[in-house]
Amino acid sequence: MMLLSMNRRTLAVLTVLVPLAALFVYVALRSGPLTPIPVTVTRVETLSITPALFGIGTIEARYTYKIGPTVAGRVKRVNVQVGDRVRAGQLLGEMDPVDFDDRIASLGAALKRAEAAALSVKAQVLEALARKTYADAQARRYEQLLQTRLVSEEMAGARKQERDTADAGVAAARAGLDAANQASASLRADRDGMITQRANLRLIAPVDGLVTARSADPGTTMVAGQPVVEMVDPTSLWINARFDQLGVSGLSAGLPVRIVLRSLKGRELDGRVFRVEPLADAVTEETLAKVVFEALPEPLPPIGELAEVTVALPALPAEMIVPNASLQRVDGHMGVWLIQDNTLHFAPVKVGATDLDGQAQILEGIKSGDRVVIYSRRALTARSRIKVVARLEGVSP
Amino acid sequence: MADMGEKGIHIEAICKRYGKGDTAVDALKGVDMQVFPGEVVGLIGPSGSGKSTLLKCLGAVIEPTSGRMTLGDAIIYDNGWKIPDLRALRRDKIGFVFQAPYLIPFLDVTDNVALLPMLAGRSNTESRKRALELLEALDVGHRAKAMISQLSGGEQQRVSIARALINRPPVILADEPTAPLDSERALAVIRILNQMAVQYETAVIVVTHDEKIIPTFKRIYHIRDGKTQEEAGEGRALV
Amino acid sequence: MISLAGRDIQHAWGKFVFTGVGLGLLIGVTLTMAGVYRGMVDDAKALLDNSGADLWVVQQGTLGPYAESSSLYDDAYRGILGMPGVTRAANVTYLTMQVRHGGEDVRAMVVGVVTGRPGEPGQPGYLVSGRRITRGHYEAVADIAAGFKLGDQIQIRRNLYTVVGLTRRMVSSSGDPMVFIPIKDAQEAQFLKDNDAIVQQRRRAAANPLFNRPGVPGLLDAIIASQSTNPYVNAVLVQIKPSLSPEEAAEPIRRWKRLQVYTREQMEGILVGKLIATSARQIGMFLVILAIVSAAIIAFIIFTLTLGKIREIAVLKLIGTRNRTIAWMILQQALALGMIGFVVGKIAATIWAPFFPKYVLLVPQDAVGGFFILMVICVLASLLAIRAALRVDPAEAIGG
Repeated sequence: MMLLSMNRRTLAVLTVLVPLAALFVYVALRSGPLTPIPVTVTRVETLSITPALFGIGTIEARYTYKIGPTVAGRVKRVNVQVGDRVRAGQLLGEMDPVDFDDRIASLGAALKRAEAAALSVKAQVLEALARKTYADAQARRYEQLLQTRLVSEEMAGARKQERDTADAGVAAARAGLDAANQASASLRADRDGMITQRANLRLIAPVDGLVTARSADPGTTMVAGQPVVEMVDPTSLWINARFDQLGVSGLSAGLPVRIVLRSLKGRELDGRVFRVEPLADAVTEETLAKVVFEALPEPLPPIGELAEVTVALPALPAEMIVPNASLQRVDGHMGVWLIQDNTLHFAPVKVGATDLDGQAQILEGIKSGDRVVIYSRRALTARSRIKVVARLEGVSP
Repeated sequence: MADMGEKGIHIEAICKRYGKGDTAVDALKGVDMQVFPGEVVGLIGPSGSGKSTLLKCLGAVIEPTSGRMTLGDAIIYDNGWKIPDLRALRRDKIGFVFQAPYLIPFLDVTDNVALLPMLAGRSNTESRKRALELLEALDVGHRAKAMISQLSGGEQQRVSIARALINRPPVILADEPTAPLDSERALAVIRILNQMAVQYETAVIVVTHDEKIIPTFKRIYHIRDGKTQEEAGEGRALV
Repeated sequence: MISLAGRDIQHAWGKFVFTGVGLGLLIGVTLTMAGVYRGMVDDAKALLDNSGADLWVVQQGTLGPYAESSSLYDDAYRGILGMPGVTRAANVTYLTMQVRHGGEDVRAMVVGVVTGRPGEPGQPGYLVSGRRITRGHYEAVADIAAGFKLGDQIQIRRNLYTVVGLTRRMVSSSGDPMVFIPIKDAQEAQFLKDNDAIVQQRRRAAANPLFNRPGVPGLLDAIIASQSTNPYVNAVLVQIKPSLSPEEAAEPIRRWKRLQVYTREQMEGILVGKLIATSARQIGMFLVILAIVSAAIIAFIIFTLTLGKIREIAVLKLIGTRNRTIAWMILQQALALGMIGFVVGKIAATIWAPFFPKYVLLVPQDAVGGFFILMVICVLASLLAIRAALRVDPAEAIGG
């Protein structure tokens, strides 16, 4: 009886101290440097991946037309609104002709006067010709009479001189007619030029299209080259896409593209790489490309909207694949951590292509079937103690 | 032990003065006392008579001012302590029995008794064996494993006597050992003391004013105003 | 030989353990405080380790990019790549801002990293879930401390990012979780404001006659376009050949590129010496106070325990127990109390450390050192009680 009571007391003390000591040991082993680092592993498989390129871009129109005056002036009329569809040749608006019409009229009047002057000069030519004919006849007669000594030499000479004078008169009259003709031609050209310029004040749509901007309202003063109306050909929408230069190998015209517009997230549209721009953006270090839609979406997306494009490259032949989360850089070498015979071992590798889902090809450095560490709870070193688990706790897969 | 057994305890002209100069108090003014092995004598006096002071001197707890104290053959005090280690003296040569048992509450009965030899370096098993023998002799052997709080007053008193005896000291000083007890138990305690005194050849001095046990003493020292006076007691027999 | 201390503890074990637990909680607080300090230093070290860089190139004359803001042109890295010994150089931007998810804001440090290849400096070294960023825009890798899960859509400024990977212990020096996004998006986030502000900016540019000249069509558009681009980054992270010492590689860059370059040691000095120095001192003072308080409490407890036994001690002395034995009993009890307290404290600190909002790092050296300091404190604290015990007059056991 006494022995039991003694032991009961010891037992009571032990029931407190022993679990305490056990808890202490547990705590020391679980959270100090003695604890092994949990890691998840996978086996290296040989698969074929389909790399893809991802870029973002904005929707632009291939052909944009800015229609405006070629000389400074004031806008008289704008016939269209933004969003109107116009036909080629349609009158979109007109600049204020100001004094153009008056000047054309003035030139017209001047032209008429020049033409009248030409007519008068033409009559002068006829008159000179008549005089020349008479002088010629007189000279010839007196020539004959001189030979028969009926007239004096002086009189024959005078008649010859009159003939020369008449010749000169004809020439002068003819020159005068030329000048008058040229003058009216010049005035005609001036007038025609002014009419053409007057026509320029009419803003005409060059092609069928859609009006996208109306930059000035009637009464606004514009300088030469400022657009009054901007329009695009809506069937020529394409996406001006930018790809980061670091991952862009393989981009070429004709590759299929999946397009996601910002306003239509969730809907993928089909497209095609139309052209890879020969000039890249050196400042932002991006390669530019144009992507066209296979079928334009209805309603038309606004120009300037953001789009994400994914270019599918052809599938590559099967190679060793690891998830890109396993790739780490240690001491300047890119590689993966392998588990061989329960020890950790860093293997430098040569990385090939990668796809957008995080699979990376490994060209050298490991063998198919090797066990590779993907995730670890702490940074690994060659001396780390590890424990392979199916999932890291606290993190959803 | 045997070598000190013949003479018991003997003090001569012990004086004790507290303080100095005008405020000095003479508690003891020349006390003579002799107790032989096997004897149980009473020390009786009113409070303030120097009783406690005398006990403390006898117990080598305080230093007398002058006089001589002999324990067995050895002179322990002669106007100055002659023994270097008083504590060892108390441990080995003097046993104390108090009014209240003053047992150690966190040790069980056996360990309370066996404590002193264990502290002195004896083996635990041997000390406990000896303790158990004493407890048996004192008729509390059946409580050997109990804790002090589980004992009755009388049992505790017997345990404290066992503790006082464990080292077979030549002298036992008992300070009002029976005060809290009824007459039956008080006589039982005195009987035990007498038995032990004879059995172990111990000189026992009992300070008391308990009327129940005074008649049992064969010799009594009365102390009054710092001086003792011996007289014969009734020596009533104990059954 | 009997252990008086052991018997006493056994007899009053409930009181002892209860006192030990209380003391243990105090010790746990002290250990946790040390852990908070170490956590702060570890945050700073983690920030430097996780960047994967040997050198930090920042704006001249700044302590950036963590301690001070720094701006460099984003094409500066091309020249640095050409310097001797440099194997990799990558732009990086840092911006501490609110990241929105599901209607809640999380404070995070948004890090813009170069994402074309894995292993560029600045990218997180290891993941705990998901994959690295493969697309050049609108993907993010977040630290689990931000509370995001794979597939979550988070909003940074005007764009939505999909969380494709998770990391652990990628935090800023003040403990904010990091969110990694492609650097072009980060540059946009740093300087591109919300829509209202952009509209205001355009309006102001249009109202400025210098920018809006009628004779120069296209000038206003060019100005607005230049206002909306951001050619700056906060730093260039550089990795160097292992054969070169960091200082050797840094000096030419400093001299010829006229940029400031810090080696890892210097960055550590800046972070620890400037960013967290004040907090460290604060915690250090607190630790000292806690240690003093612990010592005082232990002394008080032992003293009270001893006083409770003062009568037994007097008796023990009277019956001949050596002073040494009594002192040893008290000392043993103090040490036992200290040990129980330490065990309880270490367990408590380990259990509650993960619940703190910032990282608490409990290192074994602190625990071992703390144990020894605690034992010394127990010894010193017991001296008071021992002194009291030894001064007890055994004569008091004998009643007046």
